[in-house]
Amino acid sequence: MLYEINHLKKIYGERTVLDIPELVLEKGIIYSLQGPNGSGKTTLLEILGLLIPPTSGELNYGNTRIDFVGDNLTYLRREIVMVQQDPVLFTTTVHKNLEFGLRVRGVSKRERGKIIRESLDLVKMHGFVDAEAHNLSGGETQRVAIAQALVCSPKVMLFDEPTSSVDVESQVDIENIIKEINSQKKISIIFTTHNLTQASRLSSRVISLFEGGLTSQRSQNIFNGRIITDGQGNRSCLIQDKINLPAKTEKTGDVKLSIDPAKVMIFPDGEPVFGENTFVGRLVQMTYEHNGVRAIADIGVPLNILLSRKEARDNRLCVGDELRISFPSDAAEVL
Amino acid sequence: MEFLIDSFLSAILLLWSFNPDVYFIIYVSLKVSLSSTLIASLLGIPTGFMISFKEFRGKRGVITVLNSLMALPTVVVGLLVYAFISRRGLLGILDLLYTQTAMVIGQVILIFPIVTSLTIAATSRVDERYRKTAMTLGASPLQTALVIFGETRFGIMAGVIAAFGRVISEIGISMMLGGNAKGYTRNMTTAMALEYDKGEFVLGVALGMVLLLISLSINILFNHIQGRSRV
Repeated sequence: MLYEINHLKKIYGERTVLDIPELVLEKGIIYSLQGPNGSGKTTLLEILGLLIPPTSGELNYGNTRIDFVGDNLTYLRREIVMVQQDPVLFTTTVHKNLEFGLRVRGVSKRERGKIIRESLDLVKMHGFVDAEAHNLSGGETQRVAIAQALVCSPKVMLFDEPTSSVDVESQVDIENIIKEINSQKKISIIFTTHNLTQASRLSSRVISLFEGGLTSQRSQNIFNGRIITDGQGNRSCLIQDKINLPAKTEKTGDVKLSIDPAKVMIFPDGEPVFGENTFVGRLVQMTYEHNGVRAIADIGVPLNILLSRKEARDNRLCVGDELRISFPSDAAEVL
Repeated sequence: MEFLIDSFLSAILLLWSFNPDVYFIIYVSLKVSLSSTLIASLLGIPTGFMISFKEFRGKRGVITVLNSLMALPTVVVGLLVYAFISRRGLLGILDLLYTQTAMVIGQVILIFPIVTSLTIAATSRVDERYRKTAMTLGASPLQTALVIFGETRFGIMAGVIAAFGRVISEIGISMMLGGNAKGYTRNMTTAMALEYDKGEFVLGVALGMVLLLISLSINILFNHIQGRSRV
């Protein structure tokens, strides 16, 4: 066991930004914390990185209960390194930036050079050892920040939105580096992302967060909507003033509605479809994932659909195809 | 106008003659001011860090008081320290009055709020990510503070230079606690005041030129260091 969380809360003023009753994370695998902005991903990551204390609750790292006070915290922190979203490097050379973590750990000067070279090689930045850190581009800074964390030989690496501030080419490189760190160095990895495709592609387990709490995979399709009532008193949820879905809820006004992507069914053109919650859309994206294929269809809003590989193959889906889409009413839930 | 030019030329000649009395006055000024700046920095920079990074009740009040004390009049400090170190004062037994040590004590009190306030201003503006980066890389609280110091060194250095500028040009404390004793506590500002009283301007102008030269040299050095590190 890597981490164990019990009744963990983080409250700022009157606002509860994190409330997790129970969560266990295992060693050696890649986890993603996925959720929209404000769902508490970064707060949870910073608590796991022992950088901020929770307001209440219990956090265990391995067999150690973390009390967030005393010198012991600094030593525990040396096993867990976090790479921040849009990281900053110290105002000096790349070499000195990487040397910092080694110096505080008392690594000899001779060894430092070798470790720094190896880490820069892994992130493909070996030519930048003497460069001034503040002259680097966003992608280069991100790679050096990863190397800076790597030299510390951590047991856990935490990444906060690792690809949010880099271009597409660097995104692929950084994702490959993260996979390599996990497979070669056996470092446990937890990263945050709001990108569901990236979460599913890169991690072995996706932990979905919504408004500070853990939620099921259904939180992948979350839409802002408004509850409306027709002449017969039937309630429905109007999503972005475009799509109207029947809704079983007592709530009124503005709400958030989630649709379970695993319960969404697709019917290629030609097959008859009946019933409520049926839409016509166009397939705009298909991605391979660990446990199947993720399709995104444009039905007025982008809708995630999880298919088995067999389903995807049998239906001979191609990006650009027009599809009819349907889901049972229990697939939609007002949050 | 002629009088000013004559004084200026005579002042240059006086400095050129390497008169030991003149250079001793400059030496006293530099020794006392550098000592007080060094002590105030050693006390004020860590205090500024502590106030900036620790959360405690009354923090805002402390910062307001420190900011107000930046404009502390030198004569008020002079009077206050005088009350303690004069023969009848609490520390009279130490016999500090009219010594360079007394001048240093007064000047430290004068500039401690300047160094502390400007350290707080520099460190509170630093990007929070630097602190988190140092912490996550395994730095202890002291090592983290040193990282912040490194990132804010120019702001802090500017504060130290402002403090030095304040003490090298002050006269109230030097006069009241040093006593302007020739060859012992007479510094550039007290000597200039004395020359003015006597109606002799040559030495006053010469010392004024030295004072300006010191100030200019320190600022050039500071800009040079700042410029080099940003290339």
